[in-house]
Amino acid sequence: MAENGEHHSALPYFLVWVALLILTVTTYVTGRMHLGTWALPLAMIIAVTKSLLVILFFMHLWEQKGANRIVIATSFVFVALIISLTVADVATRFPLSTPAGAPFGTDIPAELEETAPEYQPPAGKIGEPPRGVPQPK
Amino acid sequence: MSEAAALPPGEHPARGADPHLAHHFSSLERQVDASRLGMWLFLCTEVLLFAGLFTGYAVYRYSFPIAFAASARTSEIWAGTLNTVVLITSSLTVALAIHFVRTGRQRAAVVCLLITLAFALTFLGIKAIEYTAHFHEHQLPGRYYRFEGVRLPGASMYWALYFLMTGLHGLHVLIGMSVLGVIAWRTSRGYYTPHYYVGIELAGLYWHLVDLIWIFLFPLLYLI
Repeated sequence: MAENGEHHSALPYFLVWVALLILTVTTYVTGRMHLGTWALPLAMIIAVTKSLLVILFFMHLWEQKGANRIVIATSFVFVALIISLTVADVATRFPLSTPAGAPFGTDIPAELEETAPEYQPPAGKIGEPPRGVPQPK
Repeated sequence: MSEAAALPPGEHPARGADPHLAHHFSSLERQVDASRLGMWLFLCTEVLLFAGLFTGYAVYRYSFPIAFAASARTSEIWAGTLNTVVLITSSLTVALAIHFVRTGRQRAAVVCLLITLAFALTFLGIKAIEYTAHFHEHQLPGRYYRFEGVRLPGASMYWALYFLMTGLHGLHVLIGMSVLGVIAWRTSRGYYTPHYYVGIELAGLYWHLVDLIWIFLFPLLYLI
């Protein structure tokens, strides 16, 4: 607002920008290190830190009134609810009712990287239904 | 107060004191607070819109962890990283534009907004190169998936989610560019003053949200 207009400095924006760049490099380097189980939590921690920097300083939530803070906090609560409850549903189903695969894991087993599985993508052109695959009538 | 500022539509001339004050608000401060609250509510609906896609990603990543990890490794990681830097820097230039309007330097603010638009165009250009490469490699959703590099069930789901999420995000980049373009034009006409700049502030909020969503898309789609 006008009251802090004259004494406002641009320096904090550059500091936040540098912090965001450092975090981007961090997430890139750690993302390529194949950390296995820890890759997803670490990447999400970095992403949440970056988004907090953007929300608090670039979007000025730091100096906003309470109502705006409640609004954005509420939306994040609902994001957490929809993702956690939906994944909890899928994770606790009878195993055969879910698609093939295991719970969260990020590293490809060595045997899978060495030999390609038997699955062969059907040959054919883009736009045409693949040969040998029954099409719905 | 700048008398040269254009009168907004619906302004009540008899009030005289402030050309920006709409007739149904008792003071400019209340008007600005209401605008900000409305924008934050809108941003919440945007966050929840993307939350649906993130939920879909979470479910299919849970079901096909190996296919998703393998597919992410075949994405154009250089482009994703470069685009992250481009968007973060464009967020900085938008924040600087608001700072310059606050301190009464409208010309610098217009320059910052134009730089932001240039960054947005760069982002879309890199995205276009990426999409072209994926189409060329047949890294496509559903039955159009013909990529030889990853032959795992679930890989086509990764690309379906990739195109949905980056596509919806790209649409938001386009909308943000239009909004910033209008705001840059209005700023160059002297519409915003150090006492009244809520329009440029709200446009900035939208652009930061676009950056925010990309901050989550980048590690999920490219890195892990």
